[in-house]
Amino acid sequence: MTGQVLVIGLGNPDRGDDAVGVQVAREVAAERLSVNVLEFDDPSEALDAWEPEDTVILTDAISSGGVPGDIQVIDAIAQKLPTGGWAAGGTHALGLAAVVELARSLGQLPRRLVVVGVEAAQFDHGAPLSEAVAAAVPAAAVAVFDAIDDPEDEP
Amino acid sequence: MTHKLTQGDHVLHVDNLARVEGEGSMHVVVNDGLVADVELRIFEPPRFFEAFLRGRAWTEPPDITARICGICPVAYQMSSCLAIESACGVTVPEELRLLRRLLYCGEWIESHALHIYLLHAPDFLGYPGAIEMAADHGPVVERGLRLKKAGNALMTLVGGRAIHPVNVRVGGFYRLPTPHELHGIRPMLERARDDAVETVRLVAGFDFPDMVQHQEYVALRSPHGYPLEGGSVVTSTGRAFEVADFGTHVVEEHVARSNALHARLDGQESYVVGPLARYALNHDQLGPLAQEAARDAGLGDECRNPFQSIVVRAVELVHATDEALRIIDGWEGAAAPFVDVPARAGIGYGATEAPRGLLYHRYELAEDGTILDATIVPPTSQNQRSIEADLRVFVQDRLDLPRDELVRQCEQAIRNYDPCISCATHFLDLTVENR
Repeated sequence: MTGQVLVIGLGNPDRGDDAVGVQVAREVAAERLSVNVLEFDDPSEALDAWEPEDTVILTDAISSGGVPGDIQVIDAIAQKLPTGGWAAGGTHALGLAAVVELARSLGQLPRRLVVVGVEAAQFDHGAPLSEAVAAAVPAAAVAVFDAIDDPEDEP
Repeated sequence: MTHKLTQGDHVLHVDNLARVEGEGSMHVVVNDGLVADVELRIFEPPRFFEAFLRGRAWTEPPDITARICGICPVAYQMSSCLAIESACGVTVPEELRLLRRLLYCGEWIESHALHIYLLHAPDFLGYPGAIEMAADHGPVVERGLRLKKAGNALMTLVGGRAIHPVNVRVGGFYRLPTPHELHGIRPMLERARDDAVETVRLVAGFDFPDMVQHQEYVALRSPHGYPLEGGSVVTSTGRAFEVADFGTHVVEEHVARSNALHARLDGQESYVVGPLARYALNHDQLGPLAQEAARDAGLGDECRNPFQSIVVRAVELVHATDEALRIIDGWEGAAAPFVDVPARAGIGYGATEAPRGLLYHRYELAEDGTILDATIVPPTSQNQRSIEADLRVFVQDRLDLPRDELVRQCEQAIRNYDPCISCATHFLDLTVENR
C-alpha cells in the first residue's frame, strides 16, 4: 500500500449529531496510533488534506431519512455522492458530498476514498449526541478500520 | 419545457432555493401577463436566538449568537461585543479593535470567496453549480478554494476556529496571536491578494443583465476606514445617524408568509444593505489597490446594477486581503488580550458590516448583567423587501422567457444579495401552477 492512511472527521461539535464524524475520528485515533487523524468543522478544508496516493476515510453525520445511528459505508471512488443542491447532510455551508464531488471534478480525488456516515437525528445548537447516534460510534470506528484494512486494496 | 408565462395567470414557485445559504422559497404570481405578487419566503433563526438570550449572562452573546450562522459567525460576535460593551460603558483599546478588524477580514475573505466562486459564478458561466463548473474551469475553482482557505486560516489564527470561532469574548480575545504566528500567514495572504485581483478581472468580464435599482443604500461609515468592525449609519439620500438611533429609524414588521421580520427605514418601501451600499457610501475609503481594481473593472462612484454586486464583492476581497496584510505589518502587540467589562444596568447598541450587510444588535441588561431583552436585525431581513422589489421588475421584463430559464434567472437575481437565511441543507424543487 502506498501513501498514508488518513481519517478525517467532519462536523461542527456544537450542533448535536453533527459532532458524530469528529467523535468517530477520535475513537479511531485512540485505538490505532498509526493512523493520521484530522478534524475539520468546514469540510472544504479536507480538500487540501490528502495527496493523490493516500487512503482517506471521511467520517460525517448523514441525513438520509434512515434510522438514527445507522451506518453507511460508501466507496466514493466507485460511486458519486448525491449533492442534492449542496450539502448532503450536516450543517455545513459546503457539505461533504459537495466537497467530494468538487474534488472529483478537479481531478483531486485520492487513490482510495471511503465515506463512513452515521445517520443523524438532530442538529440542534449546543445539543449533545443523540443516544442512538452516540451508541453507533464504536461500530462506526470498526467500519473505518475495516475500510483501512480492506485486503482487496492491497497492491 | 418551454412553457411561457405571458398568457393567462400563473404561479411560479421555487420551493427551496439552491445555492442560497439556508432555506427559502420564491413565489411569483402572474395575472394576465402582469406580475401581481412576489414573495420571498424565508425561515430564519435569529428570532429564536433573541428569546434564547433573555435571562443569560452579559458575557454570553458572542458565543451564543455566533451559532446563528456558520458563514458569518464573526459578524454576530463583533456586533454583540460592541452592543454589550456599549451597555457597560467600555470601549476596547485600539490594538484590540485592530485585531477584531483583522478577524473580520478573514470572514469577508472566506464568505466572499465562497459566494463569488462556488455560488454565484456558475450563474454567469452557465453551469448548474460549482461542481459542473469545476470540470471545465478547474483553475478558476481552485483559485476560489485557495482564497476561501486563506480566509479560514486567518479566522483560525485570530478566532481559534474557522466556524464558530472560540477565541472571541466581550472585551476582546482570550488569547492574542503572536507576531510570529501573524507573520507566518503573510505568504498565504499575499497569494490571496493576487488571487483577489485576478477575481476582479474575472468577474468584471461577465455578462450582466441590465438592471438599475433605485432603493436607498444603507451602510456604516467609520473613521477607521472601509466599514467592517463598527461605525455610524449613513444612507445614499444623505441620512446619517448613530447606531443607538437605529431602532427609531428602522422598524421591523412581521409578515405572515415568513418567520423573518421585514425591515423598513423611515417608512420607505425598501432599502439595501451589503456590498453595493458599502461601496456607494465608502468607496473613497478603499485601499489604493482595491480602488485601482474597481477602476479597472469599470466601476464608478456607485454601482446600481445588483447583478454587478459580484464585482463589488471581488473588489472588497482585494480590500480585505490588502487590509489584513496592512494590519499584520503594523502589528505591535497589545497590552492584554482583553479589557474587563463589568456588568451594569443599561441598554447597548452595536452594528458591524457582515459580508452581506449591516448587522445590528441591541441588548438591555440588568444591574447584575442578566440580559433582559435582545434584538438582532440581520442583513437579509433588511434586504428582503429589496429582493422582492428587484424580482418584481425583473420578472415583468422577462415574462417571454421559457419558464425554466426565468426561474434560473430569478434565482441568480436572489443570489445577488448573497442571502444568508439559515444554516441548513437546501434542495431545488420547482413547481409551476397554472391558475
